[in-house]
Amino acid sequence: MTAVVRWLGAALVLSAAAFFMSDYHNDVYRKLMLWVTLALGYNFLFGICGQVAFSHFAFYGIGAYSVVIFLFQVHMPLPIAILCGIALCILFALAVAIPSTRLEGFYLALATLALGQLFIIVLNEGASVTGGTGGIANYRLPDIFGVRIRGPWYTAVIVVLLLSTYAILVRLDRSWFGRACRAVRDNPEAAAAMGVNVARTKVIAFTLTSALAGVAGMVYAFVDNTVNPPIFGIDNAFLLLFMVIVGGAGRHLGAVIGAVLLFLLPFWLSPLVGHHHALVFGVLIVAAILLQPSGLAGIYETVMKRR
Amino acid sequence: MSTPILQVEKLTKQFGGLTAVHDLDFDVREGEILGMIGPNGAGKTTTFNVIAGTFPATSGEVRFAGQSILGLAPHRIAERGVMRTFQHNRPFAGMPVIDNVLVGAHTHFGTGLWSVVLGTGRREEADKRRRAEELVQFVGLGELRDADVTTLSFGQGRLLEIARALAGEPRLILFDEPAAGLTPAECTRLAEIIRGIAARGIAVLLIEHDMHFLLPLAQRVVVLNFGAKIADGLPDEVRAHRAVMDAYLGDHAAAH
Repeated sequence: MTAVVRWLGAALVLSAAAFFMSDYHNDVYRKLMLWVTLALGYNFLFGICGQVAFSHFAFYGIGAYSVVIFLFQVHMPLPIAILCGIALCILFALAVAIPSTRLEGFYLALATLALGQLFIIVLNEGASVTGGTGGIANYRLPDIFGVRIRGPWYTAVIVVLLLSTYAILVRLDRSWFGRACRAVRDNPEAAAAMGVNVARTKVIAFTLTSALAGVAGMVYAFVDNTVNPPIFGIDNAFLLLFMVIVGGAGRHLGAVIGAVLLFLLPFWLSPLVGHHHALVFGVLIVAAILLQPSGLAGIYETVMKRR
Repeated sequence: MSTPILQVEKLTKQFGGLTAVHDLDFDVREGEILGMIGPNGAGKTTTFNVIAGTFPATSGEVRFAGQSILGLAPHRIAERGVMRTFQHNRPFAGMPVIDNVLVGAHTHFGTGLWSVVLGTGRREEADKRRRAEELVQFVGLGELRDADVTTLSFGQGRLLEIARALAGEPRLILFDEPAAGLTPAECTRLAEIIRGIAARGIAVLLIEHDMHFLLPLAQRVVVLNFGAKIADGLPDEVRAHRAVMDAYLGDHAAAH
């Protein structure tokens, strides 16, 4: 009961904030929450399950493009389009995960990097289906029961996305499945000796987090009401990795801190260094890896323990 | 005596041209501690790894509870009730002690992923956690329940390996040189724990380099040398066995 109250409270507070913001700040706020959602999912895959994959952002794109294409080119109703989009993400995820988890970790990185690049090529060459390099624009979210969800109300949809993603991941993490994922990350041979099916655990974690990224992509598709190839490029896939490392891989709090920090940092840095904020990111990553492998969340935990 | 839970028949394992295990026969019964000794390179660990599914066998048969387990993946063998410890501790470094033990109970969780996401299955989680706490107490790590495993001493790490294996509710537990690297006091404690495990009706296969640790503990002993069984029997019989003296202790020891 108290848990329900807590979740509702969080949803209310996070949503209410949107009603006091200008359009510009609302836009930044929505994208911030989408990044946090993505980072939480990626943290489960990379930080908790130890899979170095670069396809998370591609699945975000697959979700976004598929829902738009299913809605406006195939003319499916919204719920069917969402289900088909999720199914597509699951299919792609299985196609990548099943062959690559049989190999060592390095090959998963390569296979997912290839998927990310291939996805951009398909988008660019997709002619009328994907809109080519220009992408697809000039659509809007269909009315749901005759109601048009817009402005801060759509921000509330993103709040629900963020909180449900978080709830799902935390529950998984605190269950036998989360422990199996961590066991597979820490010592696959010992995990197998404890009865954990290592390949299956990896495939499930990969597919699940990829589907969650796909759902986030579907929500994103109606934030800017345009989808185009550069958004889903490999740069952002690396940014996601940086967020999780700087925040503290394997910690939900770390994913949140990392995403908030690296998303907002360019806003503060651009008046100072222009577009060279990537340089600052680079220094942060190296510092995190060398000096603070448990990330900013690790610092927070140490401080809390001492108190 | 009860029927054997583990039966190893004519087991042979070759690595290229090298025969690591040759025509090995032995069995282990429920509640029994079977010791397996032999000098380094005698094929003890290879035998162990074939039983646990890490390596395939070249020929022969391994039956657990009457069914062949040869060729099964390690996680399938664990599922059937064969748990193991590692000679070099292999904890899950990112988890506290209690969660490490809970991984051992992995195959006993019946809650599906959907139920986990929907938030049911908390009772099962609580039950398993309580049981894991008992095991942590049993091996004497009670106070370190929530400790980071990287802070454990080597000996404590070994006890964690045992608690983790027991969490799988094994019918057979395989110990790979459990006394290696332990202090004499820790060895005494370990011997008590292993006796306690056998007393629960669990079959114990104990591979050990150290005869002084193994002989007082084991009910029967199998001696390997160059991959073949050179003797088996009661600890006292094995102790007096001439071939064992030669192979294991060397002529030097036999002269005393």
